[in-house]
Amino acid sequence: MALKSASKNSGLREVAERAPDRSYAGLLQQLADADPARRRWAARDLAAHAAAAQPLVDRLLDEHDAGVVEAIFTSIETLASPAAVAALVPLLRSDDARLRNGAIEALASMPAATAPHVDRLLADADADVRLFAVNLLADLRHPQVPAWVEQVLRTEPEANVVAAAIEVLTEAGSTALLPALAAAQARFATDPFIGFAADVARSRIGSP
Amino acid sequence: MTVNSATRAVITAADFLKFRDYFHRKTGIHFDESKRYFVDKRLQDRIEATGATGFRDYFASLRFEASGIELQQLVNAMTVNETYFFREAFQFECLVNDLMDELAARAAGRRLRIWSVPSSTGEEPYSIAIYLLERWPGLKQHDVEILSSDIDTRVLESAQRGIYSRRSVSELPRAYLAKYFEQIDDDAWRISRDLVDAVEFSRVNLCDAADTRRLRDVDVIFCRNLLIYFDDVSRRIAADAMFDALVPGGFVCLGHSESMSRISPLFRMRRFADALVYQKPLQGEQQR
Amino acid sequence: MNRILVVDDAMTVRMYHGKVLADGGFEVHEAANGVEALEKIATQPADAPFDLFVVDVNMPKMDGYSFVRELRRLAEVPQVPVMMVSTEAQARDASAGFDAGANAYFVKPVPRPQLLAAAAVLLGDAQTARTAAARIGEAA
Repeated sequence: MALKSASKNSGLREVAERAPDRSYAGLLQQLADADPARRRWAARDLAAHAAAAQPLVDRLLDEHDAGVVEAIFTSIETLASPAAVAALVPLLRSDDARLRNGAIEALASMPAATAPHVDRLLADADADVRLFAVNLLADLRHPQVPAWVEQVLRTEPEANVVAAAIEVLTEAGSTALLPALAAAQARFATDPFIGFAADVARSRIGSP
Repeated sequence: MTVNSATRAVITAADFLKFRDYFHRKTGIHFDESKRYFVDKRLQDRIEATGATGFRDYFASLRFEASGIELQQLVNAMTVNETYFFREAFQFECLVNDLMDELAARAAGRRLRIWSVPSSTGEEPYSIAIYLLERWPGLKQHDVEILSSDIDTRVLESAQRGIYSRRSVSELPRAYLAKYFEQIDDDAWRISRDLVDAVEFSRVNLCDAADTRRLRDVDVIFCRNLLIYFDDVSRRIAADAMFDALVPGGFVCLGHSESMSRISPLFRMRRFADALVYQKPLQGEQQR
Repeated sequence: MNRILVVDDAMTVRMYHGKVLADGGFEVHEAANGVEALEKIATQPADAPFDLFVVDVNMPKMDGYSFVRELRRLAEVPQVPVMMVSTEAQARDASAGFDAGANAYFVKPVPRPQLLAAAAVLLGDAQTARTAAARIGEAA
């Protein structure tokens, strides 16, 4: 027994499991297979099919295997299309924390496709959705983020949504947003956490 | 081009905190106050390189630019990216002291497979080979294959030529240097052909499913100081590829300052005497 | 001294809860998500384990419920108490927290007297719990 020279390409051989149908229709079928390993491979391979965004999200609603959930979100992020964003947005209303937070992470990774939805999400009647929209801003790479944060600081009625916006400000803020921050702090003058968070934000923003 | 230090961007205390918090959030790497000089200098370098007017201007482009390329450049600047034999050797210690025995017990005679990616110029896979030959008694009873991959064919060629500088071999015990290398010039040592033949090199893009899907039944993956240079989506793709390449119970060793906490929830952390490693859950233990 | 791990993706919330707990005499550590929290547990010194976890629900990579479920699965960690925190609008998630294995559920940010009282109760410190509970009455 020893350090074996691998036989030519032995680690890179074609595996018999490739036999199952890798066509789009075949992959969709396997996305519902009883074997989580097959579902995971199907989820990974569906990243190559633009039409798969909605079927992938639909599968999330019934999927309990963490490995398959991860593969589905990774594939959706790879698709990075308007269709992917449209399929993800409803997950912000889900009762399942894993799906909500997975959706936020995925949406944040597609700034160009996600940006057109932000205004509507920040104006949603549901305070939870507005909160998650602000959490999304924390990771969104888009030049409009400071403006969106300013809008929340000035007009959002819910304290915890404003607090989340101040959290975003600690990283994405500039001195231009200091007046909006002061205005938010004044609106929630008796809230100790908002006062604390505002101080932290100011320490990161620095002076003009 | 030299720049008068008096014209270099000023990095205030608030700027440093802002950089530190952001960098930690994105990479898990923490810089404390003692690293001010190190950090400030590299931030100034990046500010100049990108033509930013100052730290705030630079940070805005870092944070809001869609491509995220500058963050990857910044990570590159902030991390030491040198390769040499026996780099972060405590992980090789863990391999021969703990991981290989545990894997061999579960493998039931199946050949054990170790995958080193990126291979870079070969120091890592050859270090693994030397450790197994010199420090793992189990090699007498169990066959082991070493696979090593890189996206860059030039470094793969260099790895297969197997010629190294004094600096690259400087951490090797003299006895190993004498046993496995031949000095061919003042600053050049050639590794033995036996070791070159013991490693199977291949060109693989860790983010390309077509490349990685064929890698299966791997027991240990060394993926050190690679994923921190990837963007968030690419890291997920790479972690998924590694997860699927591993046997249940297989291990992943990342760089000592890297963490799965910014990458994937699928791996368990195992603490051994020499190192912390990540493990793919065993069958029947899948997270739900 | 009791050691508490505060798990939250928001830096300001970690700092806020952390400061209250540190002022209350606890040694506070932080993690930004469930994966990092599990890593901190894996590296805790044998003679200095965490005695209490204060865990946010909504975090990237691994949410609070997934973390608690994984925590309860770990054979090497005794049943360390977990206080879950979430924003007001999600108070409906309390039962999910208890199902996952949490011991308490609060709306965040948790006011100082409540946080210290709850920590004391969960750590089995009846004396501190009584004093802190009295302060809640004063603050009301």
